[in-house]
Amino acid sequence: MDLILTNGMNLVYAVATLALIALGLAVVFGLLGVMNMAHGEFVMLGAFSVYVTQQAGLPMLAAIPLAIAVCAIVGYLVEWSIVRHLYSRPFDTLLATWGLSILMRKLVEAGFGRDYKSIDQVLPGTVDVFGIAYPSYRLLLLAVIAIFFGLLFAWYRRSNTGARIKAMVSNPQLAAAVGIDTARLARMTFVFGVCTAGLAGVALAPLVRVEPYMGIDYLLSSFFILVVGGLGSLEGLLIGSSVIGGTDTVISTLFAKTSGYMAVLLISILFLWLRPDGLFSRR
Amino acid sequence: MAFSRAASVVAFAALLAVPVVFDMFTAYQLGLYLIFGMVGQGIALCWGRAGFLPLGQALFFGMGAYIAGAALKSADGNLVLLAPLLVLAIIVPALLAALVGLLVFNRQIGSGPYFSLITLALAMLGFQLANSADTITGGFNGMTGIPGLPGFDSYGNLYFVVVGVLAIVSLGLFWLLKTPFGVLLSATAQNEERLQFFGFSTSALKAAAFGISAGLAGLAGALYAPHQGIVTPQSVGFLLSAEFVIWTAVGGRASIAGPVIGAVVIGFLASELRDTFRYWEAVIGLIFIVTVLKFPQGLIGLAELLKRRLSKADGNTARIRDINAPAREAGGAPALAFEDVRVTMGPVRILDGLDFRINRPGIHAIIGPNGAGKTSAFNAMTGRLPLTSGGISWRSRSLADLKPFQVARTDISRKFQIPSVFPELSVDENLDIALWANRTGVSDLFSMRPLRWRSDLYDTLTERFPFLKDGGGGIAGSLSLGQRQMLDFSMTYLTEARLVLLDEPCAGLSASETGAMIDAIAAINSDLGSTAIIIEHDMRVVERLSDHVFVMHQGRLLAEGDIAAVRANPDVKAVYSGGTK
Repeated sequence: MDLILTNGMNLVYAVATLALIALGLAVVFGLLGVMNMAHGEFVMLGAFSVYVTQQAGLPMLAAIPLAIAVCAIVGYLVEWSIVRHLYSRPFDTLLATWGLSILMRKLVEAGFGRDYKSIDQVLPGTVDVFGIAYPSYRLLLLAVIAIFFGLLFAWYRRSNTGARIKAMVSNPQLAAAVGIDTARLARMTFVFGVCTAGLAGVALAPLVRVEPYMGIDYLLSSFFILVVGGLGSLEGLLIGSSVIGGTDTVISTLFAKTSGYMAVLLISILFLWLRPDGLFSRR
Repeated sequence: MAFSRAASVVAFAALLAVPVVFDMFTAYQLGLYLIFGMVGQGIALCWGRAGFLPLGQALFFGMGAYIAGAALKSADGNLVLLAPLLVLAIIVPALLAALVGLLVFNRQIGSGPYFSLITLALAMLGFQLANSADTITGGFNGMTGIPGLPGFDSYGNLYFVVVGVLAIVSLGLFWLLKTPFGVLLSATAQNEERLQFFGFSTSALKAAAFGISAGLAGLAGALYAPHQGIVTPQSVGFLLSAEFVIWTAVGGRASIAGPVIGAVVIGFLASELRDTFRYWEAVIGLIFIVTVLKFPQGLIGLAELLKRRLSKADGNTARIRDINAPAREAGGAPALAFEDVRVTMGPVRILDGLDFRINRPGIHAIIGPNGAGKTSAFNAMTGRLPLTSGGISWRSRSLADLKPFQVARTDISRKFQIPSVFPELSVDENLDIALWANRTGVSDLFSMRPLRWRSDLYDTLTERFPFLKDGGGGIAGSLSLGQRQMLDFSMTYLTEARLVLLDEPCAGLSASETGAMIDAIAAINSDLGSTAIIIEHDMRVVERLSDHVFVMHQGRLLAEGDIAAVRANPDVKAVYSGGTK
């Protein structure tokens, strides 16, 4: 019973963190059509923000504004200099952001070194949940992710900005014609997307290995989630995260960590090949 | 042409002189970069020619390296055993890639960013496998102690083997790009759908290109194993894959020499700067971004720009055509049948019980108001629009569920409303592709003879439209709209298909051009005795060309007959004059 419960909690945790990681790409790729190959590098920037704040002796919460600031500035510059010229040309965005990812990795490597960074535990210790001891930080993270997604969902459905974004996504010319500043809206959407990637990096930093090359795994799993779940909806994001996270957790628990990873790769290749529009697509 | 040939000879002479002029260590380093450059040449074939980007090419490189490493270790200097095993290092990656390509490209058309992601994921998978299968690959520490090629010293004369292989590969690619296969690869990148309507399976073409590129990567890997003496999972992984793409892009993705130049230049710069300038690799990332955005043709493109400034462009004359293209067999009598064809998309009924037959040669016209389903009828016939119910048959063969290229192979040729040509190929090459349609076997694709093909119809068409011959060397994209219509029309008929579908062939033409086009359609169609279906709005054109008119309305056939009968039909009058039924 305890074993099932522990594994169940782990599964929920895996799905929730994956959804958080993929959210930024869901926004940037799902809404704007930008195949952001540097998505994982923004996650990496967030994780390094935690490293920097801890090195400076500040509490972890200070990493949140730092990550937002760094990702917003970098994202703004990237959108302005590269991405805005390439909207609706996914193949070119793939190439340009692929170069960007190399640039970001190498810059961070040059600044901080290639080695793994040690991040101090935050909220060490465990909490009793239904009779099992569960790490407090993970539990807090689960709660924060749930609240964050709830707020985001409500905001996107009800706010004016959400409606404008939907208008821009379905018909950019018409949206511009009725007075929506699509260039600015797209830029803000892009910046928002990469900032959530950075925040995911902050949240996960105490739990994962932190080094300049960490991004690629997050990039691929995010793309896989979107491919499995389909683009353009929060439901798809959650379904994709469940399939990818569920496969990984179950296979990893039953066999070995690498088998879980390979199973995810195989499933994703099959989806990319057979159902690139995903299980849950509005298109 | 002569210029680049001379340049290549000089370049290879210089490569051979490197061990003498510099030292053996420089040659050793250079050898490694040349090996990497060969992988880039394969990527350039896919990316610069066929238009799709493989992002995980290290998978095939590492595969070749592991196979060659295992072969060298187990053969123990026995050449009889070694040679076939080394061939496997090329064949296995090539077959794997061709298989992956066939599976993926069969379902996805275009440059497909998803294909790139699949190759990237495959490389990640390969890395995991190489890492975990330690009994075969040596795991994380790699396969070590690989002996050199028998009789060759890794730090010495192996360099000349590398240069020799590079020369052979480059010559082979040079030849390949000149063959019909090479022309068709470029055509695939420019207008994949149009090529399918000439009966070419573009997925097979792309899979073949991917297979060749993987074979090259495997060959490079087979040289890498004896050169380095060790193969680690890194040779399979995503980081090396990324570098291959960078070298290819910076050197020039559309050329043969470019990727090698890119690998050598960046390789030597890296070995000079890596230790002194810590931001060096970030600079490489920046260079890649700038290349992709501003100089897609890379260093070679810049060099060619300079060359063009210096020398005048060569003439635009058509090439010599002195071999008769194989004759097309006449086939049977025309028999096209639409049987209660329905196509629905969501709530919209695009075709709603369309039912008609065509049983004699000549020009048949389809008219009807916008949205009547005329073009949709063509689409349903040619594999672009899946049928909801009903059936379409041509010479008693069902056309439902066929792909466009399979439809084209049943002797159907189609011209789209907007002129659809291969813009960056020469007019001559555009005409070539039409002449090759349904006339080439696999062996013809790798022979230079089809480049000299002619047919009687080719002569007729070039007499009617002289620009096809006089401007044969110029690229099709620089033609005027009217000329592109005429080129597209000529290509559609050059296939000598028995059933020709023409969708508004006179759209966008001036009055005099329209006259010339009508004359051409009437004369050529009756010469060939083909069956043509023409969609047209202009009743004067219909009147001149056709004695058999179908009127469509709301996805159904409204009337059929000669033009007078159709004009007298009350239903037709009601639709066209806005009356109610």
